[in-house]
Amino acid sequence: MTEQNNLEFNSGFSPKIVTIACNWCSYSAADLAGVSRFQYPPNMKIIKVMCSGRVNPNFILKAFQKGADGVLISG
Amino acid sequence: MQLTKQQVNYCMECGVCTGSCPISQELPDFSPRQMIKKTIDQPEGEILHSSDLWACLTCSRCSDRCPVEIDFPEFIRSYRIKAIKAENLPRLSHNGMLQSISAIQAQRSNKGTQQNRTAWAEEVGKFSDKGEYFYFVGCLPYFDVIFQYLNVPSLESAKNILKILNKIGIEPVISNNECCCGHDAYWSGDEALFQKLAEQNIEAIKASGAKKILFNCPEGYNIFKEVYTEYFGKLDFEIIHVADFLLQKLSESDTESFEFNPCSNNSVTYQDPCRLGRRSGIYEEPRKLINLVPKTSLKEMEHNRENAICCGTTAWMECSNCSKVMQVKRLKEAKQAGADTIITACPKCQIHLTCATTTFDTEIKIIDLYSYLAESMNIK
Ligand code: SF4
Ligand code: SF4
Repeated sequence: MTEQNNLEFNSGFSPKIVTIACNWCSYSAADLAGVSRFQYPPNMKIIKVMCSGRVNPNFILKAFQKGADGVLISG
Repeated sequence: MQLTKQQVNYCMECGVCTGSCPISQELPDFSPRQMIKKTIDQPEGEILHSSDLWACLTCSRCSDRCPVEIDFPEFIRSYRIKAIKAENLPRLSHNGMLQSISAIQAQRSNKGTQQNRTAWAEEVGKFSDKGEYFYFVGCLPYFDVIFQYLNVPSLESAKNILKILNKIGIEPVISNNECCCGHDAYWSGDEALFQKLAEQNIEAIKASGAKKILFNCPEGYNIFKEVYTEYFGKLDFEIIHVADFLLQKLSESDTESFEFNPCSNNSVTYQDPCRLGRRSGIYEEPRKLINLVPKTSLKEMEHNRENAICCGTTAWMECSNCSKVMQVKRLKEAKQAGADTIITACPKCQIHLTCATTTFDTEIKIIDLYSYLAESMNIK
């Protein structure tokens, strides 16, 4: 996948986005997208959790600490 | 202060430390005396892998009483540095959120994270970017958000301090570039993080041109006084505790400009924070401030001043049953002293004791010293 596929703002800033996705809904959806061969930008990293209730506020802080520009929690 | 091996060798095994330790009272296997004794035999032995290393509150009750002045908390800290290398790590409380916040603040200069830590002040009073006084707010803006679920109004003390300072005619510097003082990183054995945070703070203070730094957090005050000076030499600003400062200002000014109304609480007691009391020697100033409020009936708990018992945890780690037992004991002591309100001078004591009130059926109210004063000064 080329750089052009990155999520990019007008300024050329390509944010690193960490997505924490629930196994039973949003992760399955992402999986379905994969099976259907939809492409998604490589600056989006998905982490699967068994339930979004597993997420605690420190997951978000840790993502920022390690260099994420945005965190998406989906479930 | 670095503890030398020779100093540890002076231990005469009197056991005063273990007898004084609030953790030993709850966990009979925890013994500062035994820890010292074992490390004299085996300096790099068992201790490096023990969980007791992290259970100590570094509350200094033992070292305050040790006849040969062994600084046990410093002993623990020096071993924590080594334990981290041996991958013996503490159990972090609150999912490690507070440790992450400090770490993110330390990356500020290279990652460009901007803090907004003055928004609260804009709503309540006047402050500036440059000036003689710098009000070091500490972690209160973060605590205020994190501990909402306990209904602890952490920022109230900062708001009330700013209002009182404004009333005295002082518009202190409050800076977005201030960061965590590094107290917890230091006591948890993370010296690199501590140094980074300390450097950033010294830089922010220098940029403000301030010569007098006011602290309300006992940890910030103590770490600047005890440790910043050790790492960075003499600082070209004065480190002042707000309780001391306000006591001077409020007692020297004519009483008409500061009218105190009688307090609405019947009787209060004061919780000495370990960093303010035993580690900094400030016992009387907060009490005198409380007594400025007419009709205050200040009761003393059984354990007060240098004998005061810690609020149960330090450096946001190892919160356990033992912490809870200590906190509940403290609430009971306050009740026995005949107080219905505990006044605290430390934001962490306020959080921990409030947390205990939610698990224990009690009517006791926890309030911070400066909100108590402001309430009676009618500047709420
Ligand atoms: S109080 Fe001091 S001398 Fe006594 S056992 Fe403890 S460390 Fe040793
Ligand atoms: S510092 Fe406090 S908790 Fe640690 S051993 Fe001494 S008395 Fe016990």
